[in-house]
Amino acid sequence: MNKLLKKEFGLTAAPITYFFLLFALMTMIPGYPILVGGFFVCMGVFYTFQFARESNDILYTALLPCKKRDVVKAKVLFTVFIQMASWLLSALLTAVRLTALRQAPVYAQNAMMNANFAYLGWLLLIFALFNSVFLGGFFRTAYQLGKPFLLYTAAAMVLIGIAETLHHVPGWEGLNSQTEGFGLQLIVLAAGAVIYAAATVGSCRRAEGRFEKLDL
Amino acid sequence: MSDTILEVCGLQKRYPAFILQDVSFCLQRGRIMGFIGRNGAGKTTTLKSILGLVHPDGGEIRYFGIDFAAHEEEIKQQIGYAAGGVSYYQRRRIREIAAVTASFYSQWDDAAYRRHLQRFQLEESKRLLELSEGMKVKFHLALALSHHARLLILDEPTSGLDPVSREELLEIFLELAEEGVSILFSTHITSDLEKCADDIAYIQKGRLLAVKPIGEFQNDYRLLVREGPLSSEQEALVLGRCRQKAGDTLLIRREDAGRFAGMPCRQPELEEIMVHLEKEGAEQ
Repeated sequence: MNKLLKKEFGLTAAPITYFFLLFALMTMIPGYPILVGGFFVCMGVFYTFQFARESNDILYTALLPCKKRDVVKAKVLFTVFIQMASWLLSALLTAVRLTALRQAPVYAQNAMMNANFAYLGWLLLIFALFNSVFLGGFFRTAYQLGKPFLLYTAAAMVLIGIAETLHHVPGWEGLNSQTEGFGLQLIVLAAGAVIYAAATVGSCRRAEGRFEKLDL
Repeated sequence: MSDTILEVCGLQKRYPAFILQDVSFCLQRGRIMGFIGRNGAGKTTTLKSILGLVHPDGGEIRYFGIDFAAHEEEIKQQIGYAAGGVSYYQRRRIREIAAVTASFYSQWDDAAYRRHLQRFQLEESKRLLELSEGMKVKFHLALALSHHARLLILDEPTSGLDPVSREELLEIFLELAEEGVSILFSTHITSDLEKCADDIAYIQKGRLLAVKPIGEFQNDYRLLVREGPLSSEQEALVLGRCRQKAGDTLLIRREDAGRFAGMPCRQPELEEIMVHLEKEGAEQ
């Protein structure tokens, strides 16, 4: 598995995937739907899958002395590493916003989503959608990328819309606060973590089963 | 140690428009088997099934006496694969691909790899897209040859190679066979097989028509030039015919040659057998 993972990072990954990690910096943009940053990070992973398809990566990997299931696991783990790297960067920046920049007027008067615990939870949900919709969809064929990514894009946009709307609903304002409502925010974060883990593991298992049955 | 390197028994694969039926053959240690048949006959499906890339609907595949499905990882350590017209990571450098590939093989031999690079005049700093098709095949062969594979499965390995490179490659195959490596390779260039193959597996419309030593296979047939009309009895014995300026050439079984008395006949080349059989339909 370690060899496959090294292969994913060193050979298969499109360089732009690493560059797209920087979209986590969108966490700092005021007056902007910052969850879109999470979507762009996933788009970076999508470019790796596109590059892998152009490179005949699936055939190359399937011919190596490794288990077919591990080919899927390595790709899912690569995705998780990229997502977690971006999430950690986002968490770091969120910490800066919640502490040093807590009183900054641009954030205090922010009509769009603020970076707080709930934001980190929503980010995990954006990633969970990618792992469930895109990864699950890709491994139906191991070559069709367009349809699963389009479906993911639609689902992610709906989720961003919901997340951006919810904190304007009376009684839910705490979701967007940088000074209070942390209980509610932590619930969103916990729910995001649980759903992310369940969606990723579930999607990986389904993808392994599908890939095992595929004729390459 | 068993001398049977690869054993394929009753391999079947059903597609909506094509059926691979009951493909069975054995490849012995140190033998070179040419896998021939026209486009769409089932060569690639067979090779992919043997490599576990396609799931057969029936049949068994055993390498070195052990079941492939149950020991895939272990078996893949001992086999090498290369295909003409297929390359991986076009934008990566040879050095990068080789480094990753090497990490997967417990018996990777870096000295052998360097020797093959030198022999094939491959520069490690080049990206695959900078190589000609022939050089790409050579690179994949260098990878396949560098982990001491006991069996090489090669799909059209000589396609795209210039005559000198092809000759070099065939010489390498012969050297490897002398060292005990077995080679199964599909090709359309039948003259390559005449130079190096020990055995022939001929596939037609998803069925194996023959699996035997190449000389025996060629000796099963006779080629004659038609002189005058044929009787209905003679017509029935013709396996295939090709129209030529000097007169039609007919392919018949060797044992039927006596029924065509007076017509000059000879043992056909592999290509002549293939062309005649494919033009006039399958031998029964």
